[in-house]
Amino acid sequence: MKRRTFMQILATSPLASSIGSRHVDASDIPKYLIASEYKPAAEPGMPGPYRGQVVSVKSDRCLGEKGEQINAEVVREMMERGMRSLTGEAKTQDAWRRFFTPADVVGIKVNCGGRPWVVSSHPIVAEVVRNLLAVGLKPSQVYVYERFQNQLDTVNYAPHLPEGVTLFAAERGNRGVDNQNYDPLTYVEADFFGEDDTRSNMIRLISQRFTKIINIPNMKDHGATGATGCLKNIAYGSFSNVARTHFKGVSHTLSFVGTLAGVEPLRSRTVLQIMDGLRGVWHGGPFAPTLKYVFFPKTIMFGTDPVAIDRLLLDIIDDERKRHGAISIWDRSPQSLNNSRARDADPNVNILIREPGHVEYAAGLGLGIADLKQIKVRELEV
Amino acid sequence: MRLFWLLLNLPLILWQQGIQTAPALKQAGLEQIAVPPEQADAWQKAGFKPVAMSSAELESRQRLLEPRVAGRANVASATRRPWIDANGWRFARNPAGKFYYDLPAGRAALAAAEAFAYNADAVLKIDPADLEEAGKMLAFLRSLPQDTWPPIADLAVVDDGSPELDEVLNLLARRNLLFRIVPDSGSQFPITIKLGTKDYPKSEAADPSAFAQKIRHQLGDEKRSLRIYGTEVVIGRLTVEGKRARVHLLNYSGREADGMRVRVRGMYGSGEARAFGHDRVTLADFVAAEGATEFTLPKMGIYAMAELTAK
Repeated sequence: MKRRTFMQILATSPLASSIGSRHVDASDIPKYLIASEYKPAAEPGMPGPYRGQVVSVKSDRCLGEKGEQINAEVVREMMERGMRSLTGEAKTQDAWRRFFTPADVVGIKVNCGGRPWVVSSHPIVAEVVRNLLAVGLKPSQVYVYERFQNQLDTVNYAPHLPEGVTLFAAERGNRGVDNQNYDPLTYVEADFFGEDDTRSNMIRLISQRFTKIINIPNMKDHGATGATGCLKNIAYGSFSNVARTHFKGVSHTLSFVGTLAGVEPLRSRTVLQIMDGLRGVWHGGPFAPTLKYVFFPKTIMFGTDPVAIDRLLLDIIDDERKRHGAISIWDRSPQSLNNSRARDADPNVNILIREPGHVEYAAGLGLGIADLKQIKVRELEV
Repeated sequence: MRLFWLLLNLPLILWQQGIQTAPALKQAGLEQIAVPPEQADAWQKAGFKPVAMSSAELESRQRLLEPRVAGRANVASATRRPWIDANGWRFARNPAGKFYYDLPAGRAALAAAEAFAYNADAVLKIDPADLEEAGKMLAFLRSLPQDTWPPIADLAVVDDGSPELDEVLNLLARRNLLFRIVPDSGSQFPITIKLGTKDYPKSEAADPSAFAQKIRHQLGDEKRSLRIYGTEVVIGRLTVEGKRARVHLLNYSGREADGMRVRVRGMYGSGEARAFGHDRVTLADFVAAEGATEFTLPKMGIYAMAELTAK
């Protein structure tokens, strides 16, 4: 019989009294109970060795004329330049060796929610896998994972990856009925809206199999968080029962995104952030079923600090919305709220009051740097 | 007439089809059935053990809802939690009561399990299409120990007989807030609900979901004797005798519950479960710590019973 002990900790809250233009006090933050028996690494992967640093690589050649085709050769060059610049290594393989050894078991957290247009793209995921194998990992030591099988199936990475790499989804779909792939002993407990099931459990592979994680989010608008990038992809993409944080115009993503991302061992093992910004979606996110709200940053961002990258992302999404005359992601007016399909047709409609302050909140939890003045961005052109 | 199987409190199937259906009943494993009085002799001659039950006798029993997820999310609820039609609160309110179900197709097995879990005296008028499934469920229930252990409750309710209390009890049971009906005086529970008092005005009971939530907060989740995670459509009942506890779990969703986590207050050292359709189920990730015991049921269909033994 298995016996393990709980380590229960009350999550600490940042002391900030205001986030963005929003005043936040203790009553805005639900009480979180974190259960994890995993201790943090000496240097947790988030924010990692490149705290407050972002390498942004842009190429006008990475997409075809209409943005529908991706040029894999150009993407490879962008990836090599980005990784070398981030680490300061002269050789690409040495850059990857900074993070990984042949003994590692690596999970690659992709994002398939924005299918078909704004997902972790095949060439980027393939290039990541190629470099891991070059470091000396076997294909069986590499997992590409997402929460929902139906989304993963649609994006269909298999033809682009070597045989032996595992494609894994924790649940068949977003129905909240499949729990076996989640770790019952590693969770965050909180009561947001009086729900009975108050736990969000970490995917078992993360706690019990992976030694390292690479996060490959996209540049996306999000109805609850304002924008979704590194933090939300790794947080909401690694735990069960998270949709319960949004209800009737209110979202608790302000504090929950960072709280989840900070749970061990997820925090320590997520060592590399590669934001796929070849395409993005400026409204209606995290979904992108058509090209209607898709835009083309033609950029990949590299770092270990998810907060710094996401802080840049907030402006990228907000600026794109401004270009289209849409309300800001920081808009909190009740008049903008309409919890219906109206959002799909009108970029001036919010389904929830958005919480872009989740990025600053995560900074307060020690996950990275949110102050633009302190973030160092290296911009490269390929 | 209460026969042996009624003493066991196995739910009784009311069968109103003619004697020509005897082979189908035998194939389903049913020998003990309730039948119209005029058919009793014929069924007995056919080798069955019939209980004569007239329409009047049936109607004298309290009629129950068909157990199901009613699909009315947000009705009397502040969350996405689906609405469940369940009868456990009626059994808990009136443990000595006599009940009957009039069930459409597809509900017989869950109804039988529900009545069994609460040790209720219930007759099930089933759709003939459910005969096989009902037979399987009754065979499964027959293989379980009858649970006469005292049910555990975390709070008390004074039953004033008012209609307002119906929905309050329903929502308390729905949320796995274990209650016991007590007389108007002398409750030993830290929370005793009596509608119409300063603490629990009847006006609050008009919103039973909010009322149940208030009780939940008063009690505190950590102090609840039974918690269920990984699903919002399973209702539990907990009984304890000495160093052993039984958890009855009823899944109203109509589909398998996968990896459901159960937390029971108290330190138990071992446990085992039986689940309909799966028989013996190993309790996974069994942990006893900080005054509570947790385990995972890897798979569960309509009904499961877990038995825990203290160290």
